[in-house]
Amino acid sequence: MFAFLVRRLLSLIPVLALVLVIVFSLVRLIPGDPAVTLLGPGATDTQIAALRAQLNLDEPALLQLWHYVAGLAQGDMGVSLKSGQPVLDEVLLRLPATLEISIAAVLVAILVGTPIGVLSATRANSGFDHGVRILSLTGVSMPAFLLALLLQLVFATWLGWLPVSGRMSSYLFVDNVTGFALIDAWLSGEPGAVSSVLLHMILPVTVLAAFLAATLGRFVRATMLETLGEDYVRTARAKGLSRREVIYGHALRTSLLPAITVVGLKFAEMLGGAILTETIFSWPGIGRFMFEAIRNRDYPVIQGATLVFALLFMLTSLLVDVLYAVLDPRVRRKMK
Amino acid sequence: MRELIHFLRRNTLAMVGSGILGALLLAVLIGPFLVQSPTAIDMSAKLLPPGPGHWLGTDSFGRDMLARLVHGGRYTLAIGILVVGIAFAIGVFFGVVAGFTGGWLDTLIMRIVDAMLSFPALVLAIALAAAFGPSLENAMIAVAITMAPQFARVARSQALAVSSRLYVDAAHALGLPRRRILLRYVLINAIGPLLVQASLNVGSAILQTASLGFLGLGAQPPMPEWGADVSANLAFARSSPWTALGPGFAILLAVLSFNLIGDSLADWFNPRRRSQS
Amino acid sequence: MKLTRRLFGVVSGAALAMGTVPFAAQVAQAQESSTLVIAVPSDPAGLEPGINKAEPIGSEIILNVFDTLVAWQAPDFAELEGRLATEWSVSEDGMTFDFTLRDGVVFHDGTPFNAEAVKFSIERTVEMNPYVEASLGLIESIETPSETEVVFTLSRPYPAFLSILAQPQSAIVSPTAVGELGDDFATNPVGTGPFKFRAYQADTRVVLDANADYYRGAPKLERLIYTIIPEASTRRLELENGGVDIIQQAGQLSAVPSEEMAAFAENDDIQILESPSQIIRQLEFNNSLTDGPFTDVRVRRAIAMAIDYDGLLSGVFDGTAERVYGPLTSNSWAFDPEVMDLAPSYDPEAAKALLAEAGVDPSDLTVKLYSFQGSLWGAVATFVQANLADIGVNVEIAQTEFPSYRALHVAGEWEMALDGRQPWYNDPDAHVTIGYLSALKNSAMTFRMPENAELDAKILEAQGEADMEKRKTLYGEIQKEIVEQVPGAYLFSPKLIVFARSNVEGLVVNSAPPLNEYWSVSKN
Repeated sequence: MFAFLVRRLLSLIPVLALVLVIVFSLVRLIPGDPAVTLLGPGATDTQIAALRAQLNLDEPALLQLWHYVAGLAQGDMGVSLKSGQPVLDEVLLRLPATLEISIAAVLVAILVGTPIGVLSATRANSGFDHGVRILSLTGVSMPAFLLALLLQLVFATWLGWLPVSGRMSSYLFVDNVTGFALIDAWLSGEPGAVSSVLLHMILPVTVLAAFLAATLGRFVRATMLETLGEDYVRTARAKGLSRREVIYGHALRTSLLPAITVVGLKFAEMLGGAILTETIFSWPGIGRFMFEAIRNRDYPVIQGATLVFALLFMLTSLLVDVLYAVLDPRVRRKMK
Repeated sequence: MRELIHFLRRNTLAMVGSGILGALLLAVLIGPFLVQSPTAIDMSAKLLPPGPGHWLGTDSFGRDMLARLVHGGRYTLAIGILVVGIAFAIGVFFGVVAGFTGGWLDTLIMRIVDAMLSFPALVLAIALAAAFGPSLENAMIAVAITMAPQFARVARSQALAVSSRLYVDAAHALGLPRRRILLRYVLINAIGPLLVQASLNVGSAILQTASLGFLGLGAQPPMPEWGADVSANLAFARSSPWTALGPGFAILLAVLSFNLIGDSLADWFNPRRRSQS
Repeated sequence: MKLTRRLFGVVSGAALAMGTVPFAAQVAQAQESSTLVIAVPSDPAGLEPGINKAEPIGSEIILNVFDTLVAWQAPDFAELEGRLATEWSVSEDGMTFDFTLRDGVVFHDGTPFNAEAVKFSIERTVEMNPYVEASLGLIESIETPSETEVVFTLSRPYPAFLSILAQPQSAIVSPTAVGELGDDFATNPVGTGPFKFRAYQADTRVVLDANADYYRGAPKLERLIYTIIPEASTRRLELENGGVDIIQQAGQLSAVPSEEMAAFAENDDIQILESPSQIIRQLEFNNSLTDGPFTDVRVRRAIAMAIDYDGLLSGVFDGTAERVYGPLTSNSWAFDPEVMDLAPSYDPEAAKALLAEAGVDPSDLTVKLYSFQGSLWGAVATFVQANLADIGVNVEIAQTEFPSYRALHVAGEWEMALDGRQPWYNDPDAHVTIGYLSALKNSAMTFRMPENAELDAKILEAQGEADMEKRKTLYGEIQKEIVEQVPGAYLFSPKLIVFARSNVEGLVVNSAPPLNEYWSVSKN
């Protein structure tokens, strides 16, 4: 296991290096002198020169890259042009809000997507199956901003059942301890705080989960169909095991492993959707932070948020691999 | 080919997809000749609900939503195809070069591909579009660049598979120049899986470009691009929902139609499932 | 089948539960009646008076946490009243300002307020804030003859000085807190105001608690929460659902669409408070150009006459904006009504004739009209484009993102642009000097007036004239002279609009600059 982990981590290094190069290049892609663009027209020549020095723009590109990477190693992602605060602090401040809905969305997606995929596979080509396939394809094709807007209109505006935006009622105020609103609300002991947070989570989590549940459902259906056609499953059936035992005892277990990979990979894609979702629901996470940064042309923040999204993506795929290795007997055996 | 058409005709989902796509094509090809100008302003007719004269209502400038939708549809369909086309060209070029030459060049290209696939696609597209500056062209280029690595991967694996086959060696032995071998054999043999990949990607190309438009990084007003229209009309979503929902559902339909077709094509190219149905 | 029914039961039960217990009702009632929630579009740029740059959200919070020596008196905001100062006198030459301070006031941290605190605060702002260089920078000395007296001496007469002292930059900070907190003071402001700073959560909210010891009496509210909601449509939904009490119109780049005004007008739960502002939005010409058609005043006048001002106000703004005729709004004390007759009025035929007289064939004229981004500016640009097309002038709209727009504007690389100014203090100086003094054209977005020794001198004279009657006469002459030159077309002045739940009482919308105080506000 240890050797596997080390190998897997080592293989990340060249990819990580190239990811850093790509993120580093982003600011250099800005047409013209980045320092002038970054500071805007009010800037004096001294300020421009100072920023050029700070960004090391006068140095050869390779040396700039080195400074950038060396800075990152010390947790220096630059300074937000809007707030003047270190980008790393700003991102870390908002990360829990994003993780809160993302993790909830993954759980919801697994709980909804898996049974739908199984039912759809066991009733392949039935009316139910076609319905689910169209519905799940709709889920995959749905622009996140449209679903968010639609849910907000129906459930918050027209029906008035759910709150419109934010993480908890505006009238409530709980201290920010962990950054996870649910935990903070629970810690505060404020009456109604926990239920307020839960109600506020429903719509954004639904938007994020919809895409993931649809993807997962489609995938589980496909792998289930494949497994059901495998020889050993046919053998099991021939040996007199009931259909139910075959489906849940063999086929589902075999299909779930690759499904983990799909959830892991799509998790990060879902984070991309968080930019749109958080913006519509005023959810104070890194997605909305990045959106605001785009509006303000706050390039250090755009750069920092992009890097954080990429790191999250790499981290989840690493986790998925490890989980896969732990769970899959074949891989486990190979490692020994 | 006849086989493929036969397969698609028997496939319900493919038929639904083609139906939607056909209707959309018809609307954007003929529609613009039947409707008012999508950019002409008439403040006396602003935010009219759907009804006679304005079948999908009007927006805050009194512009006919139907007119904006059918004109915008031209952009949308062109976006889908152009973006995938660019991504296809870039991706296949690097993929085939990597697969056929091997060695350090292969390693380098595939590492870059890995690195680019380490970003959530939308995030990388946003970052690139923000750096290039907001315009529809830049948004399309940004989406195409983020999409290219997928084509590179498929192209490379196909190129590897094909080039290991005997007939390429034979052609080599016959003294044909490398470029012609590449062109003739590798590309032609790999085209099937690549087309599946392409058809599956048209939908997400439309979706992502529209998302950039929604974020203000794509089409600029008064261009009737659907994503930008949703965003521009968001302010009226409460009182005049048709202004934002119209273009939103149009995006959904376009993406859905391509995904339905792509999904069925993937089924067709999947040998195992083909034998089943 | 059994399972389906059970599932249905659960779902409909949940729906029923949510339907019967509206979300808002789940929050403790007691809290709601004493907490006022204000929805704002973005985080405050800072809560530090010392570096405040007139950004509206931070400025308003500062004015509720801190006090100034003087403040504009509600509801007309035409006269100053004492706050931390009880009375004051100005010397004949307009250079010495002598304030008597209120006794017995303490800061939120217990530090007593005195003359030293005033001297400390103002000197601190002058040192920290380049924004006030041209105003507070005129202070030559600050004397503190006693605990309750402070004397400012200026290097030259500056009648707008009192107005500047009512600004957030001039708020009085606790010297003890500044000493203890250092840089952290910016995120933990300590003043004497009606509300104490409690917490700031980035992207989420700013929380202020009532100051029970406030010298004018404790505020009626116990808590004030600024909740940050970037999307205008979301802010409105929240107000309608009772999730917030007040939404403010962000008068700058995007505005509450007038359609929503109409929707709210029929809603009994919501009251609309409006007040004319001193904000001006205009189409301006680059008046420093040396060639091209716009160097001819007749061409500029023709363009100004081609614009259907009333159509713009009714069509685009539905009465949420007012007419502007010249460099000052009609609610300014220095406004000269004569400019209403001098200003070009809508007459497309006369505009065409004027172009012909100037020898300009409109079909040869293709102009780029630069504009800010945002739907409001898009609407205005599109309207102007259509108007100019009516007299044959072809306009291309270039909505440009702010940093690049400002860059090319200040560099003078344009002919025609949409622009505007929100005066950051209540004095004609805030419009006239910055907009029309030729010396400033390369440092700010201005009309880029050509050098004109006479007009420039008059602007500076009006800025420094201590006698208010004389000042008014001077500003009258300046307005007429500027309007004669047609440096632009004055399009509209947006009203300040605040939407509030109908149970909010006692809020008075401040017209210039739009910063509201919540001391007297209550909910029932």
